[in-house]
Amino acid sequence: MTTTGTRLQIDHVSKRFSRVGQSTLAAVDDVSLVVEPGELLTLLGPSGCGKTTTLRMVAGFEQPDDGRIYIGDQDVTELMVYRRGIGFVFQNYALFPHLTVFENVAYGLKVRRVPGRDVDRRVSQVLELVGLPGYERRFPNQLSGGEQQRVAVARAVVVEPRLLLFDEPLSNLDAKLRVQMRAELSRLQKQLAITTVYVTHDQDEAMAISDRIAVMRQGRIAQIGTAEELYRAPRSEFVAQFIGRVNLVEGRVLDVTGGRMTVALWGGSVTVAAEPGCAPGTRLSLILRPESLTLVPETTKAGATDVLVLGTVRSRTFLGEKVEYTVEVAGALLHVVTYDPAHRGVVDVGARVGVTCSAAAARPLTSS
Amino acid sequence: MRRPLRDPVLLPAVLLVWAAVALFVLYPLVRLLILTFWNEGPSLDAVTGLVRDWTNRSALINSLALAVLVGGAGTALGFAFALLTVRANLPGWARRAIDAVVLLPLISPPFTAAIALIFALGPRGLISYHVFGLTKVNIYGLWGTLLSETLTYFPVAYLTLKAVIANIDPNLEDSAFSLGARRWRVFRTVTLPLATPGVANAFLLVSAASLADFATPLILAGTKFPVLPTQAFLQITGLYDMRGGAALCFLLLVPALAIFIGQRQWIERRGGSFVTVTGKVGATTRVKSLSPAAVVALGLVCGLVVTLVLICYLLIAAASLVRGLGADNTLSFAHYAHVFSGGLKAVRDTLIIAVLCMPIGGLFAVVLGFLVARTQFPGRRALEFAAMMNYALPGTIVGIAYLLAFNDPPLALTGTAFILVVCYVFRYSLAGTRATTAVLAQIDPAIEEASASLGARRDVTFRRVVLPLVRPALLAGMTVLFIRAMTAISATIFLVSLDWSLVTVRILEGITNLELGQASAFSMLVIALVYLAVAVASFAMRRLNAGSLGQAGTLLGG
Ligand SMILES: Nc1ncnc2c1ncn2[C@@H]1O[C@H](COP(=O)(O)OP(=O)(O)OP(=O)(O)O)[C@@H](O)[C@H]1O
Ligand SMILES: [Mg+2]
Repeated sequence: MTTTGTRLQIDHVSKRFSRVGQSTLAAVDDVSLVVEPGELLTLLGPSGCGKTTTLRMVAGFEQPDDGRIYIGDQDVTELMVYRRGIGFVFQNYALFPHLTVFENVAYGLKVRRVPGRDVDRRVSQVLELVGLPGYERRFPNQLSGGEQQRVAVARAVVVEPRLLLFDEPLSNLDAKLRVQMRAELSRLQKQLAITTVYVTHDQDEAMAISDRIAVMRQGRIAQIGTAEELYRAPRSEFVAQFIGRVNLVEGRVLDVTGGRMTVALWGGSVTVAAEPGCAPGTRLSLILRPESLTLVPETTKAGATDVLVLGTVRSRTFLGEKVEYTVEVAGALLHVVTYDPAHRGVVDVGARVGVTCSAAAARPLTSS
Repeated sequence: MRRPLRDPVLLPAVLLVWAAVALFVLYPLVRLLILTFWNEGPSLDAVTGLVRDWTNRSALINSLALAVLVGGAGTALGFAFALLTVRANLPGWARRAIDAVVLLPLISPPFTAAIALIFALGPRGLISYHVFGLTKVNIYGLWGTLLSETLTYFPVAYLTLKAVIANIDPNLEDSAFSLGARRWRVFRTVTLPLATPGVANAFLLVSAASLADFATPLILAGTKFPVLPTQAFLQITGLYDMRGGAALCFLLLVPALAIFIGQRQWIERRGGSFVTVTGKVGATTRVKSLSPAAVVALGLVCGLVVTLVLICYLLIAAASLVRGLGADNTLSFAHYAHVFSGGLKAVRDTLIIAVLCMPIGGLFAVVLGFLVARTQFPGRRALEFAAMMNYALPGTIVGIAYLLAFNDPPLALTGTAFILVVCYVFRYSLAGTRATTAVLAQIDPAIEEASASLGARRDVTFRRVVLPLVRPALLAGMTVLFIRAMTAISATIFLVSLDWSLVTVRILEGITNLELGQASAFSMLVIALVYLAVAVASFAMRRLNAGSLGQAGTLLGG
């Protein structure tokens, strides 16, 4: 089973819902994005931000109010769902309860009038692929959640869709299984090389599975990029907060030279990539990830390559491989994570400590 | 999905259903209204003429009063039965026995209770005269009609209220108990208020049934207590006054429509929770049971009613097996011999029509339910409402409207099997439609979307996914159609002919010719056939893994 990927393009798409007795709500507001052939793109965002609505418009379950959607070269905006050649995996799987596993998986093939012999072959092939050989005659209610999930995936991919769409497919599984299944989904998607849009509100899942992530907020795309790009260079406080934990600390630009600028921080200074429009005196937010911060004894002096600030430990969460602290510094709270506590020891709540940050670890919150 | 008119399957389906509803529901009613209000120009004289006449004026008042009384009595009885079966921790067999007896009046041909009451309490009644030696009991008039209709229609209230009481969230009552309230107080302050919407709904349902009842008053009301349905019938069949009949229909239509709309609004505001069938019926815990005294009191009342119903049916059975019950009590199969000779044609006709109704009406019900529950199109609510009209309106109105609309070319359909089937399909599919929407409410729409995403057109999805899933609803809907087609009379009495006759019409003839034994034999046959159908249906329902007689019974109640 080989599928050469198809490109998906969403072009200035909007969807508004009218709500009784209230103003209309723009569930999706002028969203544009491109998913390259074979790529897995994740729509990530908080509840109600329009992920599902976007996905359902791509599938054809909802009609956009504005904008166009292209699969490959074809404008599918007006095309009925059943002619789009997609595979959709639903959050609750939506297996046909009156059909066996075999019949569920064969459904799309039968609808396409694939001859019986081929149906048998392709169904057993795909059940093999998802690790469910021999399950043909079971009914959905005789399967565990994880097995139902696999059947749903098998049913979606067996028709060799041009696009694979997932709406929070793992959210009904327990935490361990979720981690295992996302690895399997990722492997399967790479193997089949089907262009995929994947919706989730789980940041770990998105980072683990995606080629690129589109972070959504209130119906708009806040930022698109690889997991690493989003983590290293978030372009808004929202994205910074949503992808991992973050400390946003205000600094003042001291000097700009040759694409670098020096920013005053905690009585010292850090040098970061220059931001357009920044001149000496400009105030900006610096991103300090908790794991880049280190707790040191109160008496430590700032070194040449890092900056230091003094504060009081306000809370401590011991998590085994790491310890999370909040440290009060001049009225603000800093999140600090330290690893390997068994080896390095823990600091008590109420203790006066120094917090250091390597000058190289700070980044400006870029707005462009 | 939101632009249905682009859907190549939905549009024709909607148009087809609309066309059928327009022709067989709206058009006849329009003809009825035109005849009432058009006399070489708009005119109220048909209605004003009626109101000037004492009989018609009192028919209106009597009908309304009777509806309120039967509604009140039936709801009270239904509530008592519902409390007893849901809250008294009765053993399973007792509950099943109560359900079986209570189901009887719901599935009997009309007249059954009326004939039985004549046997029991009539001038030479077995109970009034032979047991108590009373000679002055007058079963004809308000009291007889009220008694007979209450016995016939309280099961409707019972089935509604049973579901309502069983579905009251147990946590609410438990928390009242935990706050220190005693049983009676909890009942008064929590249970009863929570059940009130259900009680109102039951009252409206029973009142509507009474308002529409044509058979009982025809036998028991007598000339001193005229009611609207029988007056309209007599106006047309006795006096050949079509305009007068139409105008009487209009007088009946107004309160019937008011009740129907009121009841609909009520249900809608509560999200339809009173029509949906739930599996929770019968769930009960000790702490919420009734006090022993209450159980005894309810048991007495319900026991009395159950006995009365049983006596009625025993009397009918007895009457069908002797020469003349009360006069000549020798065993005789003459009545049955007649049923299977002279009466055979009516039996055969009725069966043919009932069987024809099942697939046609069943499919119509499921398609309509699907359109209403799962699709969006302009005029969807209007279609739903229009499709319910013939169910909601008294049969007499529907029958007279059909007579007006389909008696002359090009639509000279009265007297044909076709029009009888059509009449039943549009009158009695609603149970199937409701069952379908109830089943669909429990099926995630994502299942249909999954089918679409796999490339299935909407008709393929309907055939391969929806239809198999709503099989229980289809079955229930077809069962109701069969039962109603076997037992209905009020509308179709205007539509029968020499070619196509009905058992219920033969029962009526038996009564008017004072051949009560024959009428009883016909009734017994119908009851047997219908019970058989219910038994087969509930067996099939169990095979479908989707419920039991209890559920079918609930569906039949609608
Ligand atoms: N059919 C609808 N009618 C009205 N409003 C809707 C409809 N579908 C979605 N919405 C609204 O549109 C907004 C976006 O909904 P959507 O389902 O796309 O969110 P989501 O990002 O998938 O959220 P979640 O993570 O909770 O699934 C929400 O505010 C929701 O209430
Ligand atoms: Mg969602």
